Amino acid sequence: MTDVKEYIFNVVNTLKTTVAGMKITGKYLMQKPITVQYPDERLPIPDRYRGIHYLEQEKCINCLACARACPIDCIEMDAVRHGKELEWVSFTLDYQKCMFCELCVYPCPKDCIHMGTEFALVTTDRSELNVDLLSFKGMAREAKIRMREAKVKKAAKEAAKKAKEDGEAAAATDGEAS
Amino acid sequence: MEDRPILEILRSFGPPEWVPEWALWLTAAGIGVGMLVAFVSLLALFSIWMERKVAGHIQCRYGPMYAGGWHGWAQTIADGVKLLLKEDIIPTGSDKPLFVLAPAIVLASIFAALVVMPVSYGFYFAEMDLGVFTILALGSTTTIGVIMAGWASNSKWAIYGAMREAAQVIAYEIPLGLSLLVPLMALGTFSLLDASSAQAGWYGMNWAVFQNPFVFPAFLIFATAALAETKRAPFDLPEAESELVAGFLTEYSGIRWSFFFMEEYAAMFLMSVVGSIFFFGGFETPITAAARSMFGSNDHLVVQLICALTLLLKSFFGVFLMMWLRWTLPRIRIDQVMTMGYKYLTPLSLLCVLGAAVWELIIS
Amino acid sequence: MTIEQQKGALTLGSEGRVLPSGEREFMMDVSTSDLEVNMGPQHPATHGVMRILLRTDGELVTGAQPHLGYLHRCAEKIGENVEWLQYLPYTDRYDYLAAMNNNLGYSLAVEALMPGLEIPRRATLIRTICAEINRIASHLIAFGTYGLDIGAFTPFFYAFREREWIQALFEKICGARLTYSYIRIGGVFNDAPPGWLQEVGHFCDVFEQKWQEYYDLLVVNHVFVKRTADIGVIPEEMALDFGLTGPMLRGSGVDFDLRRDMPYMVYKEISDAGALKVPIGRGEMGTLGDCWDRLFVRVQEMKESLAVIRWCLDSIEPGPVLGDVPKVIKVPPGEAYVGIENPRGELGHYVSSDGGKVATRCRVRGPSFTNLAVLEDMMPGTLLADSVAIIGSTDIVVGETDR
Repeated sequence: MTDVKEYIFNVVNTLKTTVAGMKITGKYLMQKPITVQYPDERLPIPDRYRGIHYLEQEKCINCLACARACPIDCIEMDAVRHGKELEWVSFTLDYQKCMFCELCVYPCPKDCIHMGTEFALVTTDRSELNVDLLSFKGMAREAKIRMREAKVKKAAKEAAKKAKEDGEAAAATDGEAS
Repeated sequence: MEDRPILEILRSFGPPEWVPEWALWLTAAGIGVGMLVAFVSLLALFSIWMERKVAGHIQCRYGPMYAGGWHGWAQTIADGVKLLLKEDIIPTGSDKPLFVLAPAIVLASIFAALVVMPVSYGFYFAEMDLGVFTILALGSTTTIGVIMAGWASNSKWAIYGAMREAAQVIAYEIPLGLSLLVPLMALGTFSLLDASSAQAGWYGMNWAVFQNPFVFPAFLIFATAALAETKRAPFDLPEAESELVAGFLTEYSGIRWSFFFMEEYAAMFLMSVVGSIFFFGGFETPITAAARSMFGSNDHLVVQLICALTLLLKSFFGVFLMMWLRWTLPRIRIDQVMTMGYKYLTPLSLLCVLGAAVWELIIS
Repeated sequence: MTIEQQKGALTLGSEGRVLPSGEREFMMDVSTSDLEVNMGPQHPATHGVMRILLRTDGELVTGAQPHLGYLHRCAEKIGENVEWLQYLPYTDRYDYLAAMNNNLGYSLAVEALMPGLEIPRRATLIRTICAEINRIASHLIAFGTYGLDIGAFTPFFYAFREREWIQALFEKICGARLTYSYIRIGGVFNDAPPGWLQEVGHFCDVFEQKWQEYYDLLVVNHVFVKRTADIGVIPEEMALDFGLTGPMLRGSGVDFDLRRDMPYMVYKEISDAGALKVPIGRGEMGTLGDCWDRLFVRVQEMKESLAVIRWCLDSIEPGPVLGDVPKVIKVPPGEAYVGIENPRGELGHYVSSDGGKVATRCRVRGPSFTNLAVLEDMMPGTLLADSVAIIGSTDIVVGETDR
């Protein structure tokens, strides 16, 4: 008797679960799809997104803290120091290696390297993936002005000191003479 | 030779004396077959696009969107062109004549079965008294093509998959035929046109499912058997056998593969037409009955158009139901398929036949 | 004349009858050799890059041998060469579907070696929330891809729709969608942005309804039940012998969950409050320990994680999220092993330190590696058509198997 019951149960259960499943799929058939038609439409990207880096070059002091923090050593930077000012040569990030882990952002003492919301880095040659994050090379205009002013100030101070020494020497010789 | 409009049209052009009768007849037949092939191919093309859109929307995504602009309507055409341009690969060691012939046989059987399908009361390709019988018989010859495909692929797993598929199709022939017997008893005719006109009562709502209480269970059995025959929905283990081992289709690529693909959608359409004509009224709806009473007879052009549209809509709804089922249910394993065919569907369809016969005897 | 008997060869036996015509009848012993099918490194349905050598006799599987190593990336060796905090992104990448849990395991192991470090409560609660949401995400993939293996294409898309929401949640809190590197030594990297906790609560409410849909669509579907019940049965002794953990173990009826029985973080409070219920397999649809039981344990765990998340949302309070950790971490000498409940089982980290900036050993016990071993003993005797279902029910991530 249980065989007959099982038989009937099989038939009834198949029909019941099929209809239940079709109700669910039918419901979604009638709804609007959730696809976002990239690249015509795009989803908003949150601020914290770990995308391609951007560097605030004026703040950077070439301390190499981010390069040391990177697990894969993909940051390389090169700058020439003129007194207190930096003349930038390069600041490259090798995106062939970068795993977008954000470990370089936190150790920065001046808070100048960040990860942006850009994620598409399409190139035709691998060498282009060695991205230089600098926005300008050489020295910043303000840095040049400051250096010039510092030089002028230094020259003026030296001139003043020299003048004072000459004056003292002259006074000493005058004192000797009279 | 009264009812051959194409032949009449050809004769009316006044062919010269030296053209023999059989040449005219052959040309007429060729034009008719060409029209059928074009019609069915268009239907298959549309079905493929519809499948992809239905699948997409069920899965909360769009389907094709680019090819052709509006919702990718030209996607199938693009796919067809791509398949035509593909390299024709025939594996070495395979049985070349059989390999080439298999898709042709499969497609030819389905087109031959579709010859019986009527378009409207006055427009049909071939009117036969044993219409449904012809359809069933010709539809099963596709199995020969499948076995040929599996054998000719020269791969152990291909022949294995082909054998499984043949076993599945043959097992479900029985409930397919038996369940069709039930509306045949209710309607009293094998012919498709007469079956449709037998459901014309009650303002076009005297459908077979309402005539006899055993017709609806028979319809469920017919639907399941039709799914298994066309290797669709939960019975697609032969096609999707490629999870682990190769199905019978693996060695086919390009246009040969697309023949098998077209055959699948043409077979779906065929089963759907048979189902709509024998179970759900065919050409008959209240609209057809109203049009008929408005315009007089069945020969009026508007009535014929409405009949054609009705059948097309009903069949496409059937095709849509098959697609809906495909994207809802998981696949059934081959031994469970055979159990279902022999132990569940065949006895149940026999019971339906018995019940319908008793009903017909007692009531009518 | 005798021919040496070997598989695949004919043998001429000596006992042949003599027919009435006087001829002697030969007894021929035709045996066919087993066919070796390679379920090659690429599968049609995820799981990863793993090769299983199946030996079949017709339809019956007579042997199964997994071959690993296609995804080996020397994670443990790298652990001996980079600093403690720099190793964190590497932990994401072994079980990439449940990256938060990996980060958590590693952080807990290192913190076990630093006794003076105190993790703020807010950090612990955010860690728990993230780990449990990631458990839901991982089980969604297990559920979706299992449906795909069996032939149901739609639940996969529905599962991924929910998973997209979870990934968007994680994107808001840490900026990445798959490899988070969020749970760090000493706490978490950033605090949750405003509105994040409310969105998690909203997600929990919506997910309960969707769970019901998954249940109706796939889990109790008659065809699915017939495909997965009574298949791949792992009896309780076999599960304990092989050292299976996670849903593989609980699906066979063993009531053991690391979160409740060997609690870490705040799980003791949660299980005391009754919010942590551990589902086990009961053999409802077939034999106890079959594939359906394992899948059902995973599906139920999704629901039970919601209770844990809600408890954490109710008890979270504002505060710091990072303990007092120096910029360059130097871990005191010692060795520690901490095992946590990964969605796949027990994920264990064994770290040993000699007081420096770099670990001397960083060993990972991946649950998928142990769970995979049972295939070799379970699969012989099953049908070829069921092998895909069985492999899918073990829910392996090859990144964790190979590291």
